[in-house]
Amino acid sequence: MLHVQDLVTAYGKIEALKGVSLEVAQGSITCLLGPNGAGKTTLMMTIAGILKPKAGSVSFFDEKLSGLPPHAIVARGIALVPENRLVFPSMTVLENLHAGAYQRRDGVAEDIERLLRRFPRLKERAAQAAGTLSGGEQQMLAVARALMSRPKLLLMDEPSLGLAPLVVEEIFAIIGELHRDGTAIFLVEQNAHMALKVAQRFYLMEQGRVSFSGDPGSLAEDEVIRRAYLGSSRA
Amino acid sequence: MIDFIQNTLDGLSVGASYALLGVGFTLIFGVLRRANLSYGPAIMLGVYLATWASFSSKGLLLLAAIAVAGTVLAGAYVERLCFAPHRRGPAVAAMAASFAVWMQLEELATLLLPRHLYSFPALYDGGPLAFGPFTARVESLVTLAAAVTVCAVVWKLLYATRFGIAVRAVIDDGRAAELSGINVGALSLRVFALASAIGGLTGFLIVSSHEQVTPMLGMWSTLKGMLAMMLGGLGSLPGAVAGGLALGLIEAHSQWYLGPQLRDFTAYLLLFALLAARPPWMNTRSAY
Amino acid sequence: MDEYAIGVLTNIGLLSFVAASAYLLLVAGELSFGQQGFFGVGAYTAAIATVMLGVALPVAIVIAMAFGAAAAALVGATTLRLRGLHFAMATLAAAEMLRILFELFHWQIEIGGELLGPDGTQGFRGIRWVFERGLEPLEFMLLVYGMLACVVFAFTLLERSKLGASIRALGEDPELAGMLGIDVVRLKLGVAAAAGALAALGGALFAHHNTYIEPRNFDIMLGVHSLAYALIGGLGTVFGPLLGVALDLGLLEGTRVFQGYRMIVFGGLVALLLAWRPRGLLDEHTVHWLRNRR
Repeated sequence: MLHVQDLVTAYGKIEALKGVSLEVAQGSITCLLGPNGAGKTTLMMTIAGILKPKAGSVSFFDEKLSGLPPHAIVARGIALVPENRLVFPSMTVLENLHAGAYQRRDGVAEDIERLLRRFPRLKERAAQAAGTLSGGEQQMLAVARALMSRPKLLLMDEPSLGLAPLVVEEIFAIIGELHRDGTAIFLVEQNAHMALKVAQRFYLMEQGRVSFSGDPGSLAEDEVIRRAYLGSSRA
Repeated sequence: MIDFIQNTLDGLSVGASYALLGVGFTLIFGVLRRANLSYGPAIMLGVYLATWASFSSKGLLLLAAIAVAGTVLAGAYVERLCFAPHRRGPAVAAMAASFAVWMQLEELATLLLPRHLYSFPALYDGGPLAFGPFTARVESLVTLAAAVTVCAVVWKLLYATRFGIAVRAVIDDGRAAELSGINVGALSLRVFALASAIGGLTGFLIVSSHEQVTPMLGMWSTLKGMLAMMLGGLGSLPGAVAGGLALGLIEAHSQWYLGPQLRDFTAYLLLFALLAARPPWMNTRSAY
Repeated sequence: MDEYAIGVLTNIGLLSFVAASAYLLLVAGELSFGQQGFFGVGAYTAAIATVMLGVALPVAIVIAMAFGAAAAALVGATTLRLRGLHFAMATLAAAEMLRILFELFHWQIEIGGELLGPDGTQGFRGIRWVFERGLEPLEFMLLVYGMLACVVFAFTLLERSKLGASIRALGEDPELAGMLGIDVVRLKLGVAAAAGALAALGGALFAHHNTYIEPRNFDIMLGVHSLAYALIGGLGTVFGPLLGVALDLGLLEGTRVFQGYRMIVFGGLVALLLAWRPRGLLDEHTVHWLRNRR
């Protein structure tokens, strides 16, 4: 459903993505691993439309997305849960959810109810300012907010970053639920162990390129984890 | 004591128009993260159009509408030319462009009406009202009422509408707002229009209260708006209102005790001292 | 060369000092709406020195630059931790306070039968040192450009030096600059003082060219204009602000084209230009390209 072909994104003269190609199949969980600085967040930002690529293409259901502004990408059914959550700190949990539903007119109230039932801790804090929530709660809010736009593909950039293990398990349980509901998920994760437990396919990115792809089990898990954290050049 | 209270009343009246200017400035700054140096000149153009119209018609509502419409048009022009192209680029470029357009708008206005002074129909024809030992001009009360109404309307817009959620989202975090599907470019234009409308109304109230129009209106409005915005803590709408009222009070009292020349000096000194001391409510984190 | 042309060229030269002053601060990462204040300090100081204290012009200029540097350093020291719009507003407030102080400043003494000296809003007349010594307008213009050439030379030396690189680094990323071992505080104060001295130099020359100065000469419009010249001409080289001044004063006012609607044309062109080239005509990219072609 999502095809990334030879994507090149640069910051001024520095190329962060040097020709990335990958695919996310419909309804699947695909994860992207790799050491820091590999370009994973740059890739997410390019797909989401925040960054414009220098070359290459991104297509979604055969429609070219590269070059479109972020709001047009959301309109086509892709939502990003960004690294560091980026909730709206001065707005309440409810208002954050409304913001996520900005492009929709119908069924917003029902969706909010459904999401609050699925995330009971958010329901408790519905009228609280998002800036006062804990890290785990903010992560759930960021996921819920992205879900408000009813995406067909959910991009998640390091959802477990800085969270306690119990909370991380909750997040991955939610990822599992979303998968069962049919939403495709493209997941960037540092926690390779958890990511490989849920993914059907994974890609390894190093220094702006995809260096390996396969399904969990095609490489020994500890080999994958080592390369995910350290990169293959440092043996 | 009576003088003190009278000066306070006068200061609040003048402060009301400063507060409105501050609100307009802050709306633009909050959403775009840039100062719009053409805010005052856009108001000037709107007011000049109304002045030109006043030669044929003296209907106050019509003139107010023309002032608002003229300012909104000028504001939209500024947004498209100076701010839209630099949304992701360096902030100084937008500010330099808004300065260039400031020059444009001022010249356009003075081409339309070249003299240094024009009379403008009065907002109210009678004298000031007396409340015991105090007096209050009706024009000042109208301006205060307008300020309160505008603030209430803006508050309602921001907290009870979908538009308001989008605006506050962009103010909080522009990138996250984009990711939520908000078209930040289109929203900026709408916010600019709202801020310009407020500016046009304020300009109309000022010139009809003083019954005169001068070419200084452009720079004066920009300056007072920026001062109000900064005194109240950059980026906060309630702060802009407080800042505007405070500026009015400072001017009224310092003029009484220190004379007209030191009036402006006191305001600048206070702003400078506040900036140097950086109290937490001034919000001096990086801002253009 | 006709007198009008000499006048225009001299004004271009004089304004170039304030524009270069704003440019220096911009390169160091600070936006200043207040350099006109130091221009004024230089003008008043030099005028008082030559008219009322009988000092020769060269010495008066040095004194003016010292006062300009000191005033700028004072403002700089109190605004060290401010950035962006906050810093800009602080400089604006400082310059306006200086202007109001000029409006309140009365000090007149009798010289040769007339009362001379700063007289508040009435200004300061009779700054005739240059013309009393028989200097022709053309010669004064050459003097101005001679000093400007020295300034440009100093800047080109600076650009190629480690100090210049430090200043640009400060402008790009102050935190990083600090981590690279640059003494950010000293550098900021140094740049502020240098920019103040530069503006004061221009002011001193301005006072002696006009023979009459008043507080209104040093208002916000001058400050915003200087900033605009730097932003439009480009931030890659000191020739940027000079280009900005030349474009406005020379091309448009000098040729008297578009009389009456000069600003409408110029303003529109500038806004369009900035949309195309956000860092000005001679931005870092262009300068780099120009340098590497040779």
